[in-house]
Amino acid sequence: MASNTVAQRLQKELMDLLTHPTPGISAFPSDSNLSLWTATITGPADTPYDGLVFKLSMEFSPEYPYKAPTVLFRTPIYHPNVDFSGRICLDILKDRWSAVISVGSVLLSLQSLLGEPNNASPLNGQAAELWDKDPAEFKRLVLARHKTPEELDAAGL
Amino acid sequence: MAHDDELAQMQRLSNDYVPEDTGPLVGERQSTTELTAEYANGDPIYRTKTAALPRKYAFYRRCRGDGHCGWRAIAFSYFETLIRVADVGKLDVEQVRLKSMQNLLNAAGHSDDIVGDFAEETFGLMQELAILMTTPNSDPCEHLLRNFNDYSRSMAIVTHFKLLASAWIQAHPDDYLPFVLDYPDLKSYCEENFERAVCEIDHVGVAALSEAVVKPAGFALEVLYLDRSPGDEINHTYRAEPLAQEGFPITNPPTLRLLYRPGHYDVLYRAEDFPVVIPPQAPIQVALVGQTGRYDPGAIAAPIHDYSDLLLSIPGAKMWEAQPTYDFNLNPSPPPQVVPVSSYAPVPTPAPPPAEPIHDFVPPPHAPQVNSHPAPRHHSIQLEQPVALPVHPPPPMSLERGLPMTIERTEPFRPSAYTLEPGFGANQMHALPFQTSIFRNSHYNTAHFLNPDFQPEEWSPGAEYATSNRGRHKSASQ
Repeated sequence: MASNTVAQRLQKELMDLLTHPTPGISAFPSDSNLSLWTATITGPADTPYDGLVFKLSMEFSPEYPYKAPTVLFRTPIYHPNVDFSGRICLDILKDRWSAVISVGSVLLSLQSLLGEPNNASPLNGQAAELWDKDPAEFKRLVLARHKTPEELDAAGL
Repeated sequence: MAHDDELAQMQRLSNDYVPEDTGPLVGERQSTTELTAEYANGDPIYRTKTAALPRKYAFYRRCRGDGHCGWRAIAFSYFETLIRVADVGKLDVEQVRLKSMQNLLNAAGHSDDIVGDFAEETFGLMQELAILMTTPNSDPCEHLLRNFNDYSRSMAIVTHFKLLASAWIQAHPDDYLPFVLDYPDLKSYCEENFERAVCEIDHVGVAALSEAVVKPAGFALEVLYLDRSPGDEINHTYRAEPLAQEGFPITNPPTLRLLYRPGHYDVLYRAEDFPVVIPPQAPIQVALVGQTGRYDPGAIAAPIHDYSDLLLSIPGAKMWEAQPTYDFNLNPSPPPQVVPVSSYAPVPTPAPPPAEPIHDFVPPPHAPQVNSHPAPRHHSIQLEQPVALPVHPPPPMSLERGLPMTIERTEPFRPSAYTLEPGFGANQMHALPFQTSIFRNSHYNTAHFLNPDFQPEEWSPGAEYATSNRGRHKSASQ
């Protein structure tokens, strides 16, 4: 019964994403498993991530939507609030998660996190420092670390 | 130094405290004496207070301390109270009312397709309960408990209630804005304190939920604080009275009760919330306890008014209010016995066939018992005997006996330490009307030996205090 309602909710969210596509974000479940999604977000304009496409994985536990999904960056990203394994520090994915937050709003929050990092509690301290001190160097490191989806596929990630 | 030791010990207890996050989401109803036992070796104030607890609040239900306990406790007791008032129409009314609050949710920025999932579970459970309440031999309470222990359904209902509280606050900024500090607006306050997946209910939440859900339903909400404040019993309570309906305040509303221990909520009950638990005919035995002292087998045939006079002097014996009127009831009761006889009489069949129905019908159901049980085992039946015999129904006597009773009954106010508290026995009205003397002697009564589910009455000393209240309540409400 529990997994059934998780599935219902995820199907509803998928329908919502497909019928109301938002530019810059997309998400779709994996072929075999409805509780494992792959998402993409596009870096917002006027940020170091402008135009870059990032792949993410979202895993929904049987307690979803009462527990936050586990979201990871699959594309390597240089960002103050993301560590080198792709783990994200974002309040709504942790203790401020709410059952009314949808997949779409998670992705939108992540998109805005790219342009507005929370430098007060960084996972990547160097990035937090450079964000304010040396935007040019920051941008260089972002681009150096980034891989396009095609490169990722080629690397088998 | 002793003070330091005390502080150190408190610190140690506080460090050792592990919130219970195991066990069922909502537990079985259990006696509050278990709480007494739990604190028996604990803090003296808690010990005193929990020792006094079972006197007023006989039962409680543990909720899992997973951060949702307060929300879940209120939601659960809301549903349970809906079952307790035993009014299927009320469930429909509440369902419509909560559905109409969808507007509030939309206004608070929640779309139907997200919130709808949670609300659907609330309404689904209401519908199932409504069906079960009209189905014989079903147990809606069991269904409720099972569903509240189903993680996803329980959480959906809890989330629905949290969102209702949040939406209510955002719709009534004047009432709540003064309480909101450190937040730019009500919305961010609600997101932080009500809409987060794991957020314990705070006082504002309790107040908002009682305003949004409990009070408009005609229920009262009581939170009893079991804390270290000085006192011999739980003395600090929060109470929300239900909204007046059609301009009249509701007296004795059904009440949701929560037991609050710092950081945790459980569901609390009075013994009266569960009329079934109390043996329904206990008051009669209370009267007999007073009787046994001077019981004389030779005085079985004592005039009836001696008994009722005696009973009048016993507190709680007003269950016997049926007694004085019974003489009058006797007058209408013989005709139904005669009618079948006369209808058979003109039939020109031989004598035996009419004799048989008469034999079946004429003896009142209790008459054979009286004869077959001469031993004073069933005192109640013994007492009935003189009443059942229409030998001497002296109208002036019964009038005299009736008079003091009526005065007692019409007097609603009795300034006494034992005066009933508001809210007492609001739902017993449903159970009691059938407990007439006639019903007691009917084989439909499980206490009757002819009943297939025969269950002899038992005297339970613990129920004596509660039952004496019960009798008083009935006389007061007539």
